[in-house]
Amino acid sequence: MKPLSRRDFLKVGGLAFLGTAGATALTQQKPGHVHEDPNVHSAHTMQQGDHGDLPGTVGEVDHEKNGFNPTDTLTDFDYGEVSTLPDGQTLREYKIVALNKNIEVVPGIEFPAWTYNGRIPGPTIRATEGDRIRIHFSNGSNHPHSMHFHGFHPGEMDGVPGSGSGGLVEPGGSFTYEFNAEPFGLHLYHCHVFPLARHIAKGLYGTFIIDPKEGRPAVDREMVMVMNGLDVDFDDANDFYAVNGIPFHYQNHPIQIRVGEKIRIYLVNILEFDFVNSFHLHANFFNYFPTGTSLIPSEFTDTIIQGQAQRGILEFTYKYPGMYMFHAHVTEFAELGWNGMFEVMA
Amino acid sequence: MTQIASQPTSKRLTVRTIALLLIPILLLAGVIALFLFTGGGLNLDSPAPVENINVEKYILKRNNIDLYIRNTGPQDLTIASVIINDAVMPFTVSPHPTIPRLGRAQIHVNYAWNQGEAYGITIFTGNAIPFAVDIPVAFETPQPSGRTFLGFTLIGLYVGVIPVFLGIFWFPALRQLGRRTMTFLMAATAGLLIFLGLDTIAEALEVAARVPSAFQGIGLIGIGAVATFLLLDAISKSQTEVQGTESERRLAVALMIAIGIGFHNLGEGLAIGAAYNVGEIALGTFLVVGFIIQNITEGLGIIAPVLRDRPTLGRLALMGLIGGGPAILGAWIGGYTPSPFLGVLFLAIGTGAIFEVVYEIAKLIQKDTARESMPMTVFSGILTGMLLLWVTGLLIK
Repeated sequence: MKPLSRRDFLKVGGLAFLGTAGATALTQQKPGHVHEDPNVHSAHTMQQGDHGDLPGTVGEVDHEKNGFNPTDTLTDFDYGEVSTLPDGQTLREYKIVALNKNIEVVPGIEFPAWTYNGRIPGPTIRATEGDRIRIHFSNGSNHPHSMHFHGFHPGEMDGVPGSGSGGLVEPGGSFTYEFNAEPFGLHLYHCHVFPLARHIAKGLYGTFIIDPKEGRPAVDREMVMVMNGLDVDFDDANDFYAVNGIPFHYQNHPIQIRVGEKIRIYLVNILEFDFVNSFHLHANFFNYFPTGTSLIPSEFTDTIIQGQAQRGILEFTYKYPGMYMFHAHVTEFAELGWNGMFEVMA
Repeated sequence: MTQIASQPTSKRLTVRTIALLLIPILLLAGVIALFLFTGGGLNLDSPAPVENINVEKYILKRNNIDLYIRNTGPQDLTIASVIINDAVMPFTVSPHPTIPRLGRAQIHVNYAWNQGEAYGITIFTGNAIPFAVDIPVAFETPQPSGRTFLGFTLIGLYVGVIPVFLGIFWFPALRQLGRRTMTFLMAATAGLLIFLGLDTIAEALEVAARVPSAFQGIGLIGIGAVATFLLLDAISKSQTEVQGTESERRLAVALMIAIGIGFHNLGEGLAIGAAYNVGEIALGTFLVVGFIIQNITEGLGIIAPVLRDRPTLGRLALMGLIGGGPAILGAWIGGYTPSPFLGVLFLAIGTGAIFEVVYEIAKLIQKDTARESMPMTVFSGILTGMLLLWVTGLLIK
């Protein structure tokens, strides 16, 4: 049999689907869980007609069992346990544990993940420039792991094998990472034990936000979006794509905002195996602050590209009510899960 | 066992013998129970789930893709996700997403496929094991309707029935030939059949690769071929014991040739019908012409043993139908419910039948050559038969 040129087809067919998906996603009913009701649910309740079904999952993953819900991940900033050091510096302490955990990423598929605190992505660590950060990291899994933060810190706090005892924390072991939060911006942290791609792809990553001392201009809502991939069959190629862990979550559960609200999104790309990821906002433009290290936007656009570990801050406001898509404009990622909706209310 | 058998004891089945026969079976039950409950000291848990899916067929209708799958793995599996050309698609599974071992299920997707394009489908099980299904060329799967029924009938007619009858039409002309030429023709028939037999077994092996491993395609070929060979041999021997006139015997051989060729054509029809269905074959006029030319030799083979006799017209027609008709049946089966299992079985039966017929012809030739030695006639005849199919085969392959 001749080899298929799947990508080529997708570029034509995929775009056609996306065009109609925005208008119809609202009308999709939420079918029952796939395990409970295999026959009645489905497909047939969704928009059909001349174009078949839209890409997407049927049913819902078990968020409770997973231990996290991407809807909550958007806004659960972790400021840590705050105290003041003798010299007046603010100290933020965090307890983070590496755990093996099966996570239902698509209804019916459990991904044997490696996690920080049992969730993908790990907790969003948020501090202000100049704060003292103290991370009590313990390894509750059966593989060595570490925490490597992007930002300024001494070499022994780098969380890389060879950098000292924090570079490779054995199962059952622990280490305390401690450093000053700088520079301000949008950063990330992840495991740096080898094989690196596998340790990251299995789920060991999270967002690290350092606010400038004087703060950022006030907005109405702030959200964190971590763009990730899921290689569920471990062939070093992603099978599904997502924002905040679960494919199609914000397609199935649109993010509700209001007309005129100022929205700020902390967008991080932690995708492995694929070189670039992207973010495209429908019917709108946004100010883009690459890495969040400047308060002056570099660009006013509706699509940005991020390579592996790139990140940036997006700020926008919707003028009109309606359902608006946001998704990777690497469209095959969109149809494999990296697709969401803003429900903008008047 | 051999020791017991060789002892000069009573040949009747006594209670003692039955008890002795049962002892190993009871011990076996004990060993199985030991393994089931304790694992026999081995860690028999598989470190990773072993799963296998066989996609038996797919049916494409407008905006619909249906996959008919069988769980050929060692335990139950659950269908969890279906991805078509890099898009996660909603789907339904009937009767249930969890399929028992060797159980079947139908996966249904509402998908707006396009005519003539290629589709790659990935099925993920609950253990995140992917299985790929390729649809090399998408087109509407023929459904049993008057039109497609006629289509498959015509394919079978062209490929099987017409050529066999065309070959039989040589009967009056060939009757004028001398004894030596007739022997040559018989040898040529044997050559044809040897070639067909090899072809059939090769095809059986090819299809066997697509049979779910639990059904052991290669073993199936062995069973089908050996059983058919021995059964036909037994029938032929019991016939000669009852009634032994030479001409009746030759007629019986002709009939058996027709049956053997019939099975071969059944397999050929199956393959053509199935290939036609998945768009792997464009049944061009040239190909049909090629089949007619090649299969005309099959008709020749059927009549070769009875050239010196006077079979009735009805008999000849019957043998033609037996030899060619199954091509139509095969095209129907292959076209509507392509089943590698049935395919292998029919091809194996065909192999056994064909080689048994070669054996019968060899016996007839032996009788002829006993009266008059003609070694080069037999050699050149068999080679001619084989070359005939090889050369005409060039038109098809």
